[in-house]
Amino acid sequence: MSGFDAGGSQLDTSWFLVLAAVLFILGTVGVLVRRNPLVILICIELMLNAANLTLVAFSRQLQNLEGQLFALMSMTVAAAEAVVGLAILVDIFRHRDVEDVDDLSELRG
Amino acid sequence: MSTSQLALLILLFPAAGAILLAGRGWRLPRIVTKIVGPGVVWASFVVTLTLFFNSASGDFTYWTWIQSGSFNVPFNILIDNLSIFMCLVITGVGGLIVTYAVGYMDKEDGPSYARFFTYMDIFVFSMLLLVLAGNFVFLIVGWALVGLSSYFLIGFWYHRRSAVLAARKAFVMNVIGDVGMILGAFVLFVTYHATTYSGVFSQLTPCTAQLCPAVLRIFRDTPSLELAAFLLLVGAIAKSAQIPLHTWLPDAMEGPTPVSALIHAATMVTAGVYLVGRMHPIYDVAVYAHGAVAIVGAVTALFAATIAIVQTDIKRVLAYSTMSQIGYMFLAVGVGAYSAGFFHLLSHAFFKALLFMAAGNVIHAMNDEQDMRKYGGLLKQLPRTSWSFLIGSVSLVGVIPFVGFFSKEQILGAAFSKPDDSLALAVWVFGFITALITGFYTGRMWWMSFAGKPSPERPVEHPHEAPPVMLIPVVILAILATIGGFIQTRALGFGPQLVDDFLKSAVGKQPWEGGVSEVIATFATMILAALLFLGAYRIYIQQVWKPWSAIVPWAQRLLERKYYFDELYDAIFVRTMDGIAQVGLRYIEEPVIDGAVVGAGELAEAGAHSLSLTQTGYFRNYVLVFVAGAVVVAILVLVRVGS
Repeated sequence: MSGFDAGGSQLDTSWFLVLAAVLFILGTVGVLVRRNPLVILICIELMLNAANLTLVAFSRQLQNLEGQLFALMSMTVAAAEAVVGLAILVDIFRHRDVEDVDDLSELRG
Repeated sequence: MSTSQLALLILLFPAAGAILLAGRGWRLPRIVTKIVGPGVVWASFVVTLTLFFNSASGDFTYWTWIQSGSFNVPFNILIDNLSIFMCLVITGVGGLIVTYAVGYMDKEDGPSYARFFTYMDIFVFSMLLLVLAGNFVFLIVGWALVGLSSYFLIGFWYHRRSAVLAARKAFVMNVIGDVGMILGAFVLFVTYHATTYSGVFSQLTPCTAQLCPAVLRIFRDTPSLELAAFLLLVGAIAKSAQIPLHTWLPDAMEGPTPVSALIHAATMVTAGVYLVGRMHPIYDVAVYAHGAVAIVGAVTALFAATIAIVQTDIKRVLAYSTMSQIGYMFLAVGVGAYSAGFFHLLSHAFFKALLFMAAGNVIHAMNDEQDMRKYGGLLKQLPRTSWSFLIGSVSLVGVIPFVGFFSKEQILGAAFSKPDDSLALAVWVFGFITALITGFYTGRMWWMSFAGKPSPERPVEHPHEAPPVMLIPVVILAILATIGGFIQTRALGFGPQLVDDFLKSAVGKQPWEGGVSEVIATFATMILAALLFLGAYRIYIQQVWKPWSAIVPWAQRLLERKYYFDELYDAIFVRTMDGIAQVGLRYIEEPVIDGAVVGAGELAEAGAHSLSLTQTGYFRNYVLVFVAGAVVVAILVLVRVGS
């Protein structure tokens, strides 16, 4: 069994990869173009989950659980990263009135 | 104790004294400095006397200092009659002078007092090393160390600008000589592959006038030996303040008077004479360099004596007189009358140290005033000093029976009677004229300072004699200067010849004898010089005769400017060097070296500045670069996998 059974027809792995790619690009573009720090964090989560999707898809195709384990690990790390990111954001908001990340450009050369 | 241990002990006493005083001196009570400072010199004197009475001799190697292939430098001490003779002068006269300094330097505070005696002991150690060394390497070490201690002592009052400048000048001049010495030693090593005296001298074929006639000598002489002899002469000239490296000695009078007496009259400046005497196997073969020694000595003797006529600073008169008298010694060793030169070295050490210390007493009594024009009439107020000074003066003039008569006239006689040598006769003429001028300037100095009426500008109305610690050494030297000449009365043609006999084993016997004509010339010189001594009284005290300077004012100016030597050196060397340095500063230092250093900094700054423009501070820019990088990497990987 090498495909995903959905309504009798096997869904090819490449579909998942395409979806993951789309998600990843969406996330990337979001990080690049949005200025709201919260949205940027959400977009980073999107990119991570795109990667997770890829991992899981390959894991299923190759009949190997390591990929899924890896996805779980990645989620844990993503949660930790989100915590740290949010904490930084909270701290910045507490001290300064920041509307978007472009206001945080004091370290420019 | 064995001779080798005693020989080492001569060196160790002053070294130990210097180390003790340098390390703890200023924290210990002053009395320790007073005892240790001169005490170690006297201890060396006693050891030297022991060697002297034991007739010790030998070449003692203590250890090998450097061993590299055929280059072998042992630490060896050469004890022969010449080195014992020199050690006796250094520690004997030196002991008296250092004792005198105990009183003279008493005004100094504790640390300075200890520092002074530290330097003095370092000097005595260095000078003893110089004369005891048995090889060229340690000779040069001693040679450089005496120059260093001379530098320390000239600049002893370092808060005086003139003293510091004088010290620097002396050091630079001496280093020129050191370089000459070192190059000379190199030439000798390259030629003979030996660093010890015995190793070099044993390879030389002695060549006296009898053995090989003048024409043959030219072919026998190796050019390298002449070269080495000339280079060693450069060292001797610099150390002994002979023309043309003489300008440091008058300035060196900025140092304390005991320093002038010890270093710049009795011992260090005679090192050049010692060198030529010690190297006599070389100079006996290298006839041109040997002739140059005599010429340098004769010219310096006359030249310095003429300048001494117009000096008004009592110490500077003595300084020029020292140069002149050392010129006599060079003249003597230059014509081959070695023992006559060394006899004059001994006698000069007596009477010139006497003159300096007596002058020190006068300066002490006059609140450090050194201008003779401001003295006058001191004879009644400072009788002991005045009479001692008179003994030194007539000894300097060369009046029988004082020591200077016998030594100076022996030199002049030897030059006068040397057979078949026109050079010797020519230098005799110089020496003869110098003797007359010596009579005149010495007379001027003594009459101006001690006779006549007190000068209205005199700083002290009722001066006091110096304390005993300063008077006793002066009196001892005055006695020595009076009776010391009778150890060798060769100038009279008969009597004892103790110095000649003693030094015969080290520097050889003078190969010719003077006759009746020599004795006649001797007395003619003495009488004329003595008349000029008295003539100075007529000019400067009675003022019945017009001073010579009124007749030839341009000569007075020429002499007062010291023949423009300082100005000449300033124009030739100092200005040239200054100019080169300025050009280097403007065209090399500033554009090239500074340019490279500053340029490197500016390049880094500009680079950093332009690179910092990429740091916009906008988060999305960084992400964009990051993503672009990731994309590039991904494409590269894909291309690779695809191919």
